[in-house]
Amino acid sequence: MKLVIGGYAQGKLNFVLRNYDVKTGRIFDGEIPEKIEEEKGIVVINHFHNWVRVNIAHGGCPEKEILAFVEKYPDCVIISDEVGNGIVPLEAFEREYRERTGRILVELAKKAEEVERVICGIGQRIK
Amino acid sequence: MVTLFIGGSGSGKSAYAEDYMISLSEQKKKYYIATMRVYDAEGEMKMERHRMHRNGKGFFTIEQPIDIGKAAEKMEVGEGTVLLECISNLTANEMFAKEVPETEEVVVAKIVKEIETLSRKLTHLVIVSNNVFEDGKVYDKATTAYIRAMGSINTKLAELADTVVEVVVGIPLVVKLNNDR
Repeated sequence: MKLVIGGYAQGKLNFVLRNYDVKTGRIFDGEIPEKIEEEKGIVVINHFHNWVRVNIAHGGCPEKEILAFVEKYPDCVIISDEVGNGIVPLEAFEREYRERTGRILVELAKKAEEVERVICGIGQRIK
Repeated sequence: MVTLFIGGSGSGKSAYAEDYMISLSEQKKKYYIATMRVYDAEGEMKMERHRMHRNGKGFFTIEQPIDIGKAAEKMEVGEGTVLLECISNLTANEMFAKEVPETEEVVVAKIVKEIETLSRKLTHLVIVSNNVFEDGKVYDKATTAYIRAMGSINTKLAELADTVVEVVVGIPLVVKLNNDR
């Protein structure tokens, strides 16, 4: 699994498309698909943080679900914004979302064979 | 020696800084200066999370939500390795303790001076600070002053520090090494 992180609008998806062999129909935007047709190459989860947000709002356990997904698709690429670099939000849900997204990314980074941090469209390999 | 760790919420900076502390001073006395004021159940949980992570690692905890310089009075004289966590709470406490917020200039000068003095009394001071600068939002006057104060304090602490490390998704990225300028 590869993890690609960075700020908003930094060209993370383009970075992935440039550097990895991704076929169309394999990019999922803010969702973790339940079923994927096999044998078609790398699966990309874009805007992973949006999926975490919706999942938390619905009382889910994104921590468990994403690990199960990664186990099933060990060649996937997960793209996420870094959401923790700001003022602690006043709303409890926003605080929870930021904190849990951050911690999930820490766990994914541990598991990832590669972590790229993208800024201005350029990737910095940090693991 | 002074080491500064910086990272966002949930970046894994605390866990990393604690492990770093242990790698520094397995045998020596380790202090943990906690700056967080607990107001509610959420704060309680956060504190408990930190406490559990430190559990069994031999830290002696000092609660010092303001007047960080006074933490020195609560330590034994001699070789001490200290983890100060974290600057964002300390700055908020200093700034918003009274009814009228303290000015950013006063807060910056006080915190930097006290930390500098404290660092001279210790073998190694490890500081954890927060990246509060990149959410692109517009805030009220007081919060904006707070963000500016944080930026200024981080800059001055980075000057004081021998090593500065940014923690991103639990991964350390060295910003300054061995007193590079």
